[in-house]
Amino acid sequence: MTGSMHPTATDAATTAVTVNGSEMSVAEVAPHTTTLQWLRGSGITGPKEGCAEGECGACAVMVARPGGDGGTRWTSINSCLVPAAALAGQEIYTAEGLASSEALHPVQQEMAMRGGSQCGFCTPGFVCSMAAEYYRKDRSGCACGEAGCGTAPTTSDIVSAARVVPSGNELPWSLAVDDDARPLAPGLPPRTAVDPPARTEPATRYESTPGHEPETGPNGFDLHALSGNLCRCTGYRPIRDAAFALGDVDPRDPLAQRRDRPAPASRPLRLGSPGSAFVRPADLDEALGLLAETPDAVLLAGSTDWGVELTIKHRRAPLTIAIDQLDELRRFHVSDDHVEIGAGLTITEVERHLDGSVPLLAELFPLFASQLIRNAATIGGNLGTGSPIGDTAPALLALDAGLVLASSRGERTIALADYFTGYRKSVRTADEIIKSVVIPMPVLPLGRFYKVAKRKFDDISSVAVAIAARVTDGEVAEIRVGVGGAAATTIRARETEAFLRGKPWTAETFEAAAEIMRVEGTPMSDHRASARYRSATLAQSIRRFHEEVAS
Amino acid sequence: MTVQHTGTAGQDLERIDGVAKVRGLAPYAYEHQVDNPLYLHPLQATISRGRIETIDTTQAQAAPGVVAVMTHLDAPRLAGTDDAELAILQSPAVGFRGQFIGAVLAETPEAARAAAALVRVEYTEEPHEAELRADRDDLYAPEQVNAGFPTDTRDGDPESAIAAAQVVVDQTYTTPFEHNNPMEPHTTVAQWVGDELVLHDSTQGVHPVRQTLAPVFGIAPEKIRVIAPNVGGGFGSKGVPHAHVVLTAMAAQRSNGRPVKYALTRQQMFFLAGYRTPTIQHVRLGADASGQLSGIIHDVIEQTSRIKEFAEQTAVPARMMYAAENRATSHRVAKLDVPVPSWMRAPGECPGMFGPEVAMDELAEACGIDPIELRVLNEPDIDPESGKPFASRHLVECLREGARRFGWADRDPQPRSRLVDGWYTGTGVASSTYPARRQTGNTARIRHDRAGRYSVQIGAVDIGTGAWTALTQIAAEALGCNAADIDLQIGDTDFPVATVAGGSTGTTSWGAAIIAAAQAFRDRHGDQPAVGAHAEGEAGENPAAQEYALHSFGAQFAEVQVHADTGEIRVSRMLGVFSAGRIINPRTARSQFLGGMTMGLGMALHENSVMDPRFGMIVNHDFAEYHIPTNADVRDMEAVWLDEVDEHAGKLGARGIGEIGIVGAAAAIANAAYHATGIRVRDLPLTADRFLA
Ligand SMILES: Cc1cc2nc3c(=O)[nH]c(=O)nc-3n(C[C@@H](O)[C@@H](O)[C@H](O)COP(=O)(O)OP(=O)(O)OC[C@H]3O[C@@H](n4cnc5c(N)ncnc54)[C@H](O)[C@@H]3O)c2cc1C
Ligand code: FES
Ligand code: FES
Repeated sequence: MTGSMHPTATDAATTAVTVNGSEMSVAEVAPHTTTLQWLRGSGITGPKEGCAEGECGACAVMVARPGGDGGTRWTSINSCLVPAAALAGQEIYTAEGLASSEALHPVQQEMAMRGGSQCGFCTPGFVCSMAAEYYRKDRSGCACGEAGCGTAPTTSDIVSAARVVPSGNELPWSLAVDDDARPLAPGLPPRTAVDPPARTEPATRYESTPGHEPETGPNGFDLHALSGNLCRCTGYRPIRDAAFALGDVDPRDPLAQRRDRPAPASRPLRLGSPGSAFVRPADLDEALGLLAETPDAVLLAGSTDWGVELTIKHRRAPLTIAIDQLDELRRFHVSDDHVEIGAGLTITEVERHLDGSVPLLAELFPLFASQLIRNAATIGGNLGTGSPIGDTAPALLALDAGLVLASSRGERTIALADYFTGYRKSVRTADEIIKSVVIPMPVLPLGRFYKVAKRKFDDISSVAVAIAARVTDGEVAEIRVGVGGAAATTIRARETEAFLRGKPWTAETFEAAAEIMRVEGTPMSDHRASARYRSATLAQSIRRFHEEVAS
Repeated sequence: MTVQHTGTAGQDLERIDGVAKVRGLAPYAYEHQVDNPLYLHPLQATISRGRIETIDTTQAQAAPGVVAVMTHLDAPRLAGTDDAELAILQSPAVGFRGQFIGAVLAETPEAARAAAALVRVEYTEEPHEAELRADRDDLYAPEQVNAGFPTDTRDGDPESAIAAAQVVVDQTYTTPFEHNNPMEPHTTVAQWVGDELVLHDSTQGVHPVRQTLAPVFGIAPEKIRVIAPNVGGGFGSKGVPHAHVVLTAMAAQRSNGRPVKYALTRQQMFFLAGYRTPTIQHVRLGADASGQLSGIIHDVIEQTSRIKEFAEQTAVPARMMYAAENRATSHRVAKLDVPVPSWMRAPGECPGMFGPEVAMDELAEACGIDPIELRVLNEPDIDPESGKPFASRHLVECLREGARRFGWADRDPQPRSRLVDGWYTGTGVASSTYPARRQTGNTARIRHDRAGRYSVQIGAVDIGTGAWTALTQIAAEALGCNAADIDLQIGDTDFPVATVAGGSTGTTSWGAAIIAAAQAFRDRHGDQPAVGAHAEGEAGENPAAQEYALHSFGAQFAEVQVHADTGEIRVSRMLGVFSAGRIINPRTARSQFLGGMTMGLGMALHENSVMDPRFGMIVNHDFAEYHIPTNADVRDMEAVWLDEVDEHAGKLGARGIGEIGIVGAAAAIANAAYHATGIRVRDLPLTADRFLA
């Protein structure tokens, strides 16, 4: 069965993206045109280009994505990475669409009022990421932490508290009083005190313990929602003030109501021209057929890797096959002896499905890129690229995961440990698609994920170490260690594992193991980290595992 | 009758431009509607020094959608070529990797980029130098350093004083090669309308762009109109026009009158939009056992581009910061085959306060006294450099207030003595300073448009600092009306002349012109002006600057956590206390301070453009690799300020706040990291590997 036997519809409804409530056609848009380029070229210039590679979030837009509960979840993504064609049939919002002609959206209101926008270039992106979190169904509470109250600390409070009156320095001052005491503006008294702004707000403050700043606001707002948005002006505090001041969602808000209806269904699509085509196949079979016919086709999932290829490297593909909405790739199945995760699920979706049931992965997710990227990046794509610094591979190695590879020739399951063969190389053949990731259950009881990067969040790993173990009767009964960033591929730290297996669960054992771990792999020096530092971190991770688990 | 007007200076007014910005409707340079534009994609040199031998554009010319390909062989000749950064495409010479060597003009950005990839260039390479090292034998003393400061200064005999001192700190500190990275990439939209050039430009100064470009193109300044109502940040890198403005305007000479659009990519910005030079700072301090300084020497080595000198005034703050009888400073510069450095937030003070403020921490420890007390002890009575009294020097109040708020009194000075949950914790302090200057050459125009409403025009630019709001407030106060009655018009050379938004001079210099215009308006038209009445006012120098040294001061406090196993470093708390004269709008001021401190945090922890000297290549030329702080890096951060007025800073009483927030921040963090770990890192950024013992 090949793709060409399944001509797909290209009617207006299929080729339109609903942008801010109005349909806009992508029928004539080239497959390599990003959503950001397309929107801006169409006069929707709220989304900005700050980097064109998923790092700054200035381009963020809100997309209606399946909520997992049959409804819709507003999800912010980097529009600079996704081809416009991939959004055909979907609904998106930009900052322009959130406000009505008279009223600002609550998110915009708070951002404007609290000074969350300075130069304003990052602002439309922040507004979209913030709005997506505002609409998160399980975000609850209002700004004061008490339901239904609707108060938040005011910026006037914050800034008046920031004003220090030095003793003996308080001077009445007004410009309107000239040097020779002749008022420029007749009738204006010298100012002795500063009046607050016209707006009056109840004065409630959220409490924070110094050094332990909350990452979740009293209104349930998770700051990670803004982790992929950079601002060079504000120092983020006014933005955070705005985020934490948001109240409950008004049930009459149409975007809130939209959450209760299903996200737009996937529809097959065929766009472009020979040599530059975009196809959204109807099902996995069609996708596999197309791939078998066109080995140099590019598979498109969340486009967080492919988007960078498009914009930075200016790569162009003869055929782009969108697999992100294929049903067969979006299944999540739990049984007694395994969890099967569809390769087309995004990191955010996997995190929600697993809901903490695999602690090792639960530790990983917040450290993976930014929320914006996680909202689009798929687990299959993370393995598909074969990058030695991808974060999921070390963890999945430690979990002894397997991959289901599908091709028009059939399916096969292989252990992830046997998957990578070299730098960005794997046993996957050109006609195969990763269908799912299978994690044997139950997972080993002890699990830890260590990621060392130059920046804590929103950065690629210098080194990532995932460790899963079982200790029985004071001995290391089972242990698996996955390591990223220490060789041309993600590796298992076999020597360290072999050393530890059967050894007593003691600090001494792990001290000795750390020295073996230090020389696992062949770490390189680059501007992220020196080889010495990478080796040192490997060693430390083993020690740290014992220390943390033991306590 | 007395009236209290709303929204005047000093009041906590929300940003006037905020609503348009949160709606995504505020237009930036690229977004102005122009008819039938062409798009530019540049050609850039792929060698660091040499000359172009052949450049083959045949394929590119023939590519679909291409309108023109321009190289040094056929580009318009420029009238003024004194500024080698701007004199592009005039010769086959290449001065640094990434330099413009041509441009493709096409119907779409995609076509321009695709065609640019088809141009074949052959070069003759010459040996290049791209590494700044203290042991270079070609370091030279520039005639003067930036802002007209002397290259070297000397008072007394500091070498002997230090040799005789009871306690000596003699260390070398380095600050990184940094890129401004405003969020909006530099953008120019250029169109020739007859013999007039119209530019929508992302710039910090519309008139400065005009004045710089006029001689380059050999036309009168009045023939250039520059428009910039909204600018997505600058931090110095848009303070002077860079080569892309010239390239775009040249290309527009080849476009049959069609407008040409060009926005630099983030990657291109690392080569073409200026940066802060790396510095190597040798600091020597001599003191008696109590900590009283007798000698200060600050010798700085930094880089410029071989094609154009830019000599950062790094050692300038050491000239006025602390009292010591014997003082010397110097600047030595290496001319390298690298991109041209330029202004970056708090040029001079920002890098120049790092070395000395860490050295002060080292001195405090060596003397066994508290670092705050050390600074208080060395507080000068008058400006050590000029001998003038300070108009207002509240450094001690800032330090004391900060100490109180930060909980400094409980600090145990012993380093590496607080390990909590695997993290070493420590606190540090540093001083901050920035000069208050008023730029002359600002004029404002006020017109009584209709009953009770005034338009106020000046060619100022709001790059995010809040000028839209602050200037409105100043105008309202000066005219004695509500902010809502002012229709401020800025960001266009059609308005009266204004200086650059830079050096913390914008609000005060433009504000002075607005006040002068208001005074002229009232003088001429009284309290009951007719509709249509108007007046202009020009601000001269601040006469008090003759008698007083005008500087802002601040105290930066940081709490740092360093992971014992991995060396990962986090700044868990920051507090800045600033004395910057009158605060025109506390709401916008707060985020200016916080934004500056956050950029200082980036300087301390992340920011570092990595030069590979073998290729003259900036390796990490994008946001994936050049890290600026994210939301998650900014933990508990607070900025407060003394509620004061500097009566010598003109009628406004303000000294400007754009830069002071960044100064000293990195030193406070480095000092805190030492207190946490006992490991003294003297080179920025403070990366994890430095803390693995
Ligand atoms: C700003 C930024 C930050 C990042 N940070 C991190 C990080 O911290 N940690 C990390 O691990 N990664 C990080 N990444 C990379 C990560 O986002 C990707 O590796 C992502 O997981 C790829 O998934 P995708 O769905 O976006 O793939 P796409 O970009 O759609 O595709 C990527 C490649 O994989 C192939 N592919 C996709 N799906 C499949 C499949 N089912 N079967 C076979 N091949 C397939 C495609 O052909 C393509 O070549 C970051 C990326 C960006 C842009
Ligand atoms: S433009 Fe920077 S993330 Fe998209
Ligand atoms: S407001 Fe300027 S980048 Fe955020």
